[in-house]
Amino acid sequence: MASIGQFLHSIPVDLLIIQTINGIVTGMILALVASGLTLIFGIMDVVNFAHGELFMLGAYMGVVAFAMTGNFWLALALAALIIGIFGAALQIVTLRPLIGRSPLNTILATFGISLVLQNYALWQFGPVARKMAEPISAEFTLFYLQYPWYRIVIALLSGAIISALWLFLKFNRYGVWIRATTQDRVMAQAMGIPVPLVYTGVFGLGAAMAAVSGVLFAPFGGVDSSMGLQWVLEAFIVVVVGGMGNLGGSIVAAIFISLLEAYAAVWLDPSQAVIASFVVLILTLLFRPTGLFAAPK
Amino acid sequence: MTEKWKEEKWAADIWYRGKTTRRRLVGWGGGAIGAMMLVPAPWRAAFGAAKPYKIGSEQPLSGVGAIGGKTALVGLQMAADRINKNGGINGRPVELDVVDDQSSPAVARQKTEKMVQEDGIDAHVGGFLSNICLACMPVFEHAKIVNMISVCLDTTLTTSHCNRESFRVHDYAPAQAVAFGPMLAKLAKKWHIVYADYAWGQSTRDSYAEEIKKNGANVVGTTGIPLGTADMTPFLSKISGNIDGLFAILFGKDGVTYGNQAYDLGLTKKYVSAGDGAVCESSNMPALGKKINGFVGINRYIPVFQGPLNTPYLHAFFDEAKKRLLKVDPSGPLPDRYVQSNYEAMNALKQAMEASKFGGRADTPKLIEALEGMEMKEGYDFPQGDKTLRKADHQAFLREFLFKIVNDDYQLLETVAKDKTLVPPACTFTA
Repeated sequence: MASIGQFLHSIPVDLLIIQTINGIVTGMILALVASGLTLIFGIMDVVNFAHGELFMLGAYMGVVAFAMTGNFWLALALAALIIGIFGAALQIVTLRPLIGRSPLNTILATFGISLVLQNYALWQFGPVARKMAEPISAEFTLFYLQYPWYRIVIALLSGAIISALWLFLKFNRYGVWIRATTQDRVMAQAMGIPVPLVYTGVFGLGAAMAAVSGVLFAPFGGVDSSMGLQWVLEAFIVVVVGGMGNLGGSIVAAIFISLLEAYAAVWLDPSQAVIASFVVLILTLLFRPTGLFAAPK
Repeated sequence: MTEKWKEEKWAADIWYRGKTTRRRLVGWGGGAIGAMMLVPAPWRAAFGAAKPYKIGSEQPLSGVGAIGGKTALVGLQMAADRINKNGGINGRPVELDVVDDQSSPAVARQKTEKMVQEDGIDAHVGGFLSNICLACMPVFEHAKIVNMISVCLDTTLTTSHCNRESFRVHDYAPAQAVAFGPMLAKLAKKWHIVYADYAWGQSTRDSYAEEIKKNGANVVGTTGIPLGTADMTPFLSKISGNIDGLFAILFGKDGVTYGNQAYDLGLTKKYVSAGDGAVCESSNMPALGKKINGFVGINRYIPVFQGPLNTPYLHAFFDEAKKRLLKVDPSGPLPDRYVQSNYEAMNALKQAMEASKFGGRADTPKLIEALEGMEMKEGYDFPQGDKTLRKADHQAFLREFLFKIVNDDYQLLETVAKDKTLVPPACTFTA
């Protein structure tokens, strides 16, 4: 009992509160990246390996648009629009011809696209990281740290975007088309829903969400051709843990994994803390392969 | 469906009237490619039938190390072009055999084996990521090929992992720590070290911790950050307590992430901010902006011409490198230490090849002998300054520059002579 009391007494409450905020902020960005990924998988059965590159291209578009307009929020909207259209075009050219083929074809195709896009960015923009200034530079005192308001704004904005997506899927006519296609694509087509168009729209929407995440994250560490790699790896873990294609599950899993890593960092080395997400992934695959929050079939 | 375009006159002219047939197209195309292959490379005319020296170079041109690898290659190509323009080495041109290691030790090892066994390279100049240098060094040792390490900074490359074939023509952490230690101890008494959690970061952390203690200050905590961590905030948030200095050992994109996020959390405003020059390498500066102001660092090369750096050699190097870097990156980055050390490693190899009258791989022992203890004099080949390549461990010693970032630019604080950076050798070559 005494040792438990001693342990509870030794818990640094200030650091736990800081890590809770860190975990939620990181989790919300991750949820935004993962929601695009899970949306594409849920509707099209496509594991999009190029999602990280769409995240990166979105950030580059944001830098270019910001340089032209000088307005971060306008740059964010323009980047989402451009990458959304680009994503739709990409789906028409590369993935639409593969509809109905083995999933391995789409995996290889998206992997190929990711290599092409990454090397294109390296060639077009060069290896030097670009700066994207944050729109809000104010900060507040959080115990011993000066915490940037921008991180809080990102978390709120990510939440708002995901909520808007949920409302769109629930109440909008086109959202109903998407849900119908997810449930039974043959029946949806028989009812007159243009399924190929739905696929294109969903891929474009997923790409736009990746672009938004890229622009929002850009002020944290600059923009370069490899910036999407780590996010997309974590997003894949989130999507598997949350249940492939389950939007709500992915959001909960993103926050859960980010909080877990943040809390682990209180007691463990960073290199050990990042293993936490992989442990969750392995346990999920072992005991609940369909994901922690997968809907029963 | 009728393809109407086939009926158009322009289409009939091109396709159906036999003016352009598939056979002709293939024939002319093949002929053109063959003709291009017969046209000699620009430098070939100057060397006649002389067989070129084949110099292998393994660089990270994609993956996490691409930021540095792309600029590193600029330095190597710049040196090779200059050598060929000035008559080559021993009257023979230099031909580079560059491979992309994709920032992966496994890929690097495989491609290095290919360079050695199939491409038949005479020597190697390259290596950017320390874990890749460590993985590939045994290949050169086994094949008896000279390996000029051009960027890797892990201390053990010339200490516990040293071998007869490998040479490092630039500095390493123990020498940097000796040069920087006295200033660090004056700047702060209690340091926290944030380092890249892999070979280079760990060995550099140990060197600085030792020198900081020797100079009367202390390291009270360390935080190792895995390579490529996009959000360091959860780890940096832990740094608190009774410290007054924050020392960073990170490079490439991680340097940018650290600089931005440590500033955002108020850490680099609250504590003295210092570290390895790689954090604010010139290729990182655009993405760091004003957030890195106040950082005190050490580097073997900074792209400014203050005081002793105002030499015609550094001006010539800077101008040529800047022109070439613009072709690699449209934002026009300034040369960094990766460009400098690749440029000078190739020139060091040239100097030794000339001194040993190197003819090919069979002459490797003579080449090693020429490199051991070689003196390099400040000039157009070695714009950074004089260097000594120590025989005992194949480690070079050179002058170091201590600087501070003021108004988004480097301000030279002090130049430490190469003799003041000496540390005892810690290498035992196997027979």
